[in-house]
Amino acid sequence: MSDIDAGRLVGKAAAPTRRIRFTGPEGRPAASLGSRIVRRSWPPLLAVIITLLLWEVVYLSGWRPSYVLPDPATVLQRTGEMVASGKFWQALGTTMFRAAAGFGLALGIGTLIGLVVSFSRTLRAAIGSMITGLQTMPSIAWFPFAILLFGLSESAILFVVILGAAPSIANGIISGIDDVPKALIRTATVLGARGLSLYRYVVVPAALPAYLSGLKQGWAFAWRSLMAGELLVIIASKPSLGVQLQFHREFADTAGLMSVMIIILVLGMLIDGVLSRVSNGVRARRGMGPVS
Amino acid sequence: MRLGTAGPRGRMPAPHATTERAAISLRGVGKDFRGAAGETVALDSVDLDIDAGDFVCLLGQSGCGKSTLLNLIAGLDSPSRGSIDVGGRRVGMMFQDANLFPWLTVRGNIELALRLSGVPAREFGPRVDELLETVRLPRAASMRPHELSGGMRQRVALARTLAQDCSILLMDEPFAALDAITRDAMHDETERIWLERELTIVFVTHNVRESARLGNRVLVMTPDPGRIDSELRIGLQRPRRMEDPGVADRAADLHRRLSGRNEP
Repeated sequence: MSDIDAGRLVGKAAAPTRRIRFTGPEGRPAASLGSRIVRRSWPPLLAVIITLLLWEVVYLSGWRPSYVLPDPATVLQRTGEMVASGKFWQALGTTMFRAAAGFGLALGIGTLIGLVVSFSRTLRAAIGSMITGLQTMPSIAWFPFAILLFGLSESAILFVVILGAAPSIANGIISGIDDVPKALIRTATVLGARGLSLYRYVVVPAALPAYLSGLKQGWAFAWRSLMAGELLVIIASKPSLGVQLQFHREFADTAGLMSVMIIILVLGMLIDGVLSRVSNGVRARRGMGPVS
Repeated sequence: MRLGTAGPRGRMPAPHATTERAAISLRGVGKDFRGAAGETVALDSVDLDIDAGDFVCLLGQSGCGKSTLLNLIAGLDSPSRGSIDVGGRRVGMMFQDANLFPWLTVRGNIELALRLSGVPAREFGPRVDELLETVRLPRAASMRPHELSGGMRQRVALARTLAQDCSILLMDEPFAALDAITRDAMHDETERIWLERELTIVFVTHNVRESARLGNRVLVMTPDPGRIDSELRIGLQRPRRMEDPGVADRAADLHRRLSGRNEP
């Protein structure tokens, strides 16, 4: 009995396997690294070139005197000089340390709050909407309060960075857990998952993509809050990117100011790029990624 | 007959004797749902004994309570009235959608089922290979669910369900979304695995021919309120095929039973 149509069935089962192999990502002829880099990087490169061209056009039009709005070449040269100086790296170190500490703490606090709130219906009712409210609150509005609480100190900056980032992270995990397909929960229940094991093996992994989206948004908020904080809470002994912005403004040094801005923009994009890569990788493995 | 409400599966024995060989025993089972339109009776006074090793199909249109009945047997839901006893047997369930966990490979999906059944990790490797062999997908272990066809996904779902070492297998329209050719192959596989593993299968379908193709017994269900209306013993030799004249003959009988009630 067990042999009924065995040959036919084996043939049927095996054929789709082979078909998938051929069309799967690993079956595609691998493009050389060089051509892949060129293919991926030309659109953003083009956008940068167009931006620089527009800037140059505005500069040449004489809309503002050149000491107020310098041309791209001058600014880029200043950026190069700045990057070569030790003072810049010291400032960068301070800023990145604050970013890492603030985002790291927000990560821990946001994740914890998110997990606890998604677990308890009462807590959800109590503070669920408050988390969303906090998320929409401009973090700069916290600074006067933070300065009164902590003085002009690292703590004041960290406080606001955490308040900026943690709600997004918590909301990411809450909405991720809310959106876990009920069918998966039922299947896991039938497979014997209960309580903690259901959370550990099914709910949390299923919520991971939404959590990573929350992380990305949290990073954006953390970075913004940090820059606001470094402009408002100036600690004399600590050079930072924010202090440098202020410094260049006071000396009406637009080229230096724009150099720092470029650094801030690039740093924010770099970190976001890393988080995006992780997030896209996770999604692609689940078949959720964009069709390339 | 009104009996005590059943507790969670297996903990509470049926309050009265059932036949010696019954793997599943339902007494006066009813289920109400509270919705916007008030209380609806999804199931009303179902009495049913299913022998160990039997293959029973629940046939009926949508809304007749057949999935509700299956969920009750699975313990996903508890009955409003009556009692259900599976004698402490392990119950596995498959759905119309394979519901594979998309973050895990095929191997990972089956391993999770083994882990949740308390199988020690060192046994995972050979057990997964054996299960994939059983569902005839020996080379799919490292693939991701989204890389599989619908039929392959259901094969993996079957392997994952079998990983629990269940003796009762509940199937809720598992092949309804498959094309006819794949579905025929899955019928053959289900029949083979049912015999090899001596499973008790309860198979929900709205496909008349499918129920005649697969079942030893077909229970015809009717809605408003959901109840078992009649039963047909198929009594055909196995292996069967969808296009067997005997299957066609039984399907015609079942059709008459289903439509008879709807005609004025």
